[in-house]
Amino acid sequence: MTSHRVSTYLAPRRRLQLASLLTAPVLWLGLVYIVALAALLVTAFWTVDELTGQVQIEWTTENVVEVFTEALYRTVTLRTLGIALLVTLIDIAVAVPVAFFMAKVASTRLRHLLVIAVLAPLWASYLVKVYAWRALLSSDGLIEWAASPFGGSTPGYGLVGVVLTLSYLWLPYVIMPIYAGFDRVPDRLLEASADLGAQGWRTLVSVVLPMIRPAIIAGSIFAFSLSLGDYISTKIVGGATQMLGTLVYDNVGAANNLPLAAAISFIPIGIILVYLAAVRRTGALRSL
Amino acid sequence: MDPAIRLRGLHKRFGDTIAVADLDLDIAEGEFFSMLGPSGSGKTTVLRIIAGFEQPTSGSVALFGRDVTALAPFARPVNTVFQDYALFPHLSVIANVEYGLRVAGVARKERRAKAEEALASVRLAGFEDRRPHELSGGQRQRVALARAIVLRPQALLLDEPLGALDLKLREQMQVELKELQRSLGITFVFVTHDQDEALTLSDRVAVFDAGRVVQLGTPREVYDHPRNPFIASFVGSSTLLEPDVAERFGLPAIATAVRPERVTLDAPDGGVAGTIAEVIYTGPEHRIVIDLDGVGARITALEPNIGAAQRRSRGDRVTVSIDPAAAAPLESDAPAA
Repeated sequence: MTSHRVSTYLAPRRRLQLASLLTAPVLWLGLVYIVALAALLVTAFWTVDELTGQVQIEWTTENVVEVFTEALYRTVTLRTLGIALLVTLIDIAVAVPVAFFMAKVASTRLRHLLVIAVLAPLWASYLVKVYAWRALLSSDGLIEWAASPFGGSTPGYGLVGVVLTLSYLWLPYVIMPIYAGFDRVPDRLLEASADLGAQGWRTLVSVVLPMIRPAIIAGSIFAFSLSLGDYISTKIVGGATQMLGTLVYDNVGAANNLPLAAAISFIPIGIILVYLAAVRRTGALRSL
Repeated sequence: MDPAIRLRGLHKRFGDTIAVADLDLDIAEGEFFSMLGPSGSGKTTVLRIIAGFEQPTSGSVALFGRDVTALAPFARPVNTVFQDYALFPHLSVIANVEYGLRVAGVARKERRAKAEEALASVRLAGFEDRRPHELSGGQRQRVALARAIVLRPQALLLDEPLGALDLKLREQMQVELKELQRSLGITFVFVTHDQDEALTLSDRVAVFDAGRVVQLGTPREVYDHPRNPFIASFVGSSTLLEPDVAERFGLPAIATAVRPERVTLDAPDGGVAGTIAEVIYTGPEHRIVIDLDGVGARITALEPNIGAAQRRSRGDRVTVSIDPAAAAPLESDAPAA
């Protein structure tokens, strides 16, 4: 009876309905997310007391200027960008044929098994997966054992290890949207293309790829942004490799310079904003 | 001369289901050929086998004397108009129509000219830059047609192309299809479950049931002389008379199908007496159901909406007669539908 009365009261009052629906999530987003992010960015303009190591509210642009002028940060930014792009390209190259097989070739049963297989690693802890790669890449690991008969050897801990590990970690996030994209291409269109004289590759280039382009871009957002911010994999399998994430981590931890860490974080945030803006123009965000 | 399409011993099995059973069929060049049947009767499967989308379990497909059974769809000189049109959503109307020409490597200028001509032939000039989602169902249908005929196929395969259109548009498209076929002079193979459509358009009709062709002939042959009870009731409507009832009408004592419009009421020379059980007014005509005296059977008659029919009502006594020439004796060995 009470709930009925509440419904009756709310029915004509659209604003009140919206308010009761959105108040909690807006508070959460507003306080916990945006305010925290803003606080972080503001921190970049503060200083650290050299004696006590405490953060002081003393306004300066020194940190930001340092980040945008010193060669170290430029080098690491380019390296991070290169790694993120490489990981994204590798994931797309692997995900497109896998997703195509799942959506268009496999039987329903096999498709379900493959979806589970693709998603299963997401249940495992990130750290476990990265340490598994550390074991794989080690000088007496599986890769060394498999490659040595052919005169190869493990790439060891470094740039290649980071790229391999990150490609592995983000692959499910790239496969799933592309799989959904393929799934949305009706078989009839493939038949129509063949009927009009196109062979397989031609159908792929002229019909399938244009139709799944938004899905590929959606997948790339995950691989790219997650790679851009990663530091744990780099620490575990990267050897001495530095990425923007490890610089932030080192400045928060070992160097105890939170303002500088905040200033560094301007870079990946800026890159992601540019990337999203570019992606938005392709219309791909609508297929997320 | 070789037929446009020759099917021999065509057999198609999906798991345990037999979709097409040992089909032999010749379709002549320039013919408007319909495959008519209820859903699941195998007609669409036959069309897809001709197009190359399905491989027959056994049997062969020859187009103009050339065996194409092992050829992929893109290597066959036929094109298809799909039931749901299957237009490419990311391409404009003109790009959809140009698609096949582009794949074939036709130069830009020439393919644009040909595509525009094809669009004009389906009365869609001026729609070049629209996207498929901006078109109505009938317009999409025309784009699908233009896209298929622009390649000058030796045969055009149409899979229930008018199924999604409303009645008025369907009737209009029927006329246009027939005109298009006449002006192109190529073979049309038309799949439909609509008997009206098949009768209206076709030079010949193959009636499908359970994976077999149960009757093959001109629309007149199929309509006037249905071979078995399934065809008699699926193509148009019929009253099926048991042998003893047929005999009462002076017909041979075998199962017989009678079209309602061929049943005469109150003819001068008498007939079988009965009582009107129902008068259904359909606009242009009256459908009159009569309980026949003494045989426990009903027969349906169709009378135009003029004269005596307008005065008939339930319970009236009438006499019923059938012109022997208009009755279709059914084959006793016909497979049960």
